[in-house]
Amino acid sequence: MGEVIVITSGKGGVGKTTTTANLGAGLSKLDKKVVVIDTDLGLRNLDVVMGLENLIVYNLVDVIEGTCRLKQALIRDKRYENLYLLPSAQTKDKTAISPGQMKKLTSELKEEFDYILLDCPAGIEQGFMNAIAGANRAIIVTTPEVSAIRDADRIIGLLEANHLNKMDLIINRIRMDMVKRGDMMTVDDVTEILSIPLIGALPDDEQVVIGTNQGEPVIGLDSKAGTAYMNICKRITGMEVPFMELQNNTGILTKLSNFFKKD
Amino acid sequence: MLRKSSVSIARDRVKALVVSDRVHCTPDVYENICRELHSALSKYIEFTEDDFQVNINRTQVIITFAGEES
Repeated sequence: MGEVIVITSGKGGVGKTTTTANLGAGLSKLDKKVVVIDTDLGLRNLDVVMGLENLIVYNLVDVIEGTCRLKQALIRDKRYENLYLLPSAQTKDKTAISPGQMKKLTSELKEEFDYILLDCPAGIEQGFMNAIAGANRAIIVTTPEVSAIRDADRIIGLLEANHLNKMDLIINRIRMDMVKRGDMMTVDDVTEILSIPLIGALPDDEQVVIGTNQGEPVIGLDSKAGTAYMNICKRITGMEVPFMELQNNTGILTKLSNFFKKD
Repeated sequence: MLRKSSVSIARDRVKALVVSDRVHCTPDVYENICRELHSALSKYIEFTEDDFQVNINRTQVIITFAGEES
């Protein structure tokens, strides 16, 4: 029986969609059968991040309305075996589906997939309620910013109120140079405020932008963020992986000083 | 040039925001809650303000009393 995980944040633009795409790719790399669902009706994005935008025929609303069969709407990823996308509808809005219908859909998918990842829209309205309806686990994405943390806290409260208590935190876009000069909150600061278990911390990595430009998950590229995402995937499956060092030691000055430090 | 690190400002702001969101009130109401709890409890228990802490999380209001007499 598969696990249904909603990826949510409250605030927009913190990296939910990128995280969903990368966790999907990473879990499929771990030989899991995965489907990622874009639940943001009217603002379809996950297909673009994954580079599958030209392959869409049917979408989530078509499946729910019965215009097509579930199998017909699932798009198989080009790079990752066992990874499927159920795209959102670009011309419908959040009222086109209900939490009950989402629950039914996810329980159907649970029979066949190991992981069902739901990319949640920003906000706390019906789109959010639809996305969390069928989930039995949540991953909250935030960045070390006041507004993002505040929204994450509200989301956590709402999830608790909806009896979704299995929650983990991802802190995205950490800049160690800023943390060091006291201009960015640390992983510990954020985790302490939100007080839910940390499942991963991601450095602000150029490779993520490059990957998104190409429609390719960063997990396939040699990068800090790719490694961090892979570690999160392993933790999702229950493996214990130590947290990596976020600090970037490849700067030329660091290299030089390390060179002189050696005896 | 010495300036207050922006992190400590951010930390204070986000903590105040989160608490007031959790109890649906403004940050100064939180201050009042703390003060009144403090004065109410001080009628029955002897403690200093340092021993007394009020934490509000999403489901509970927790009063921590650290003043164990040795």
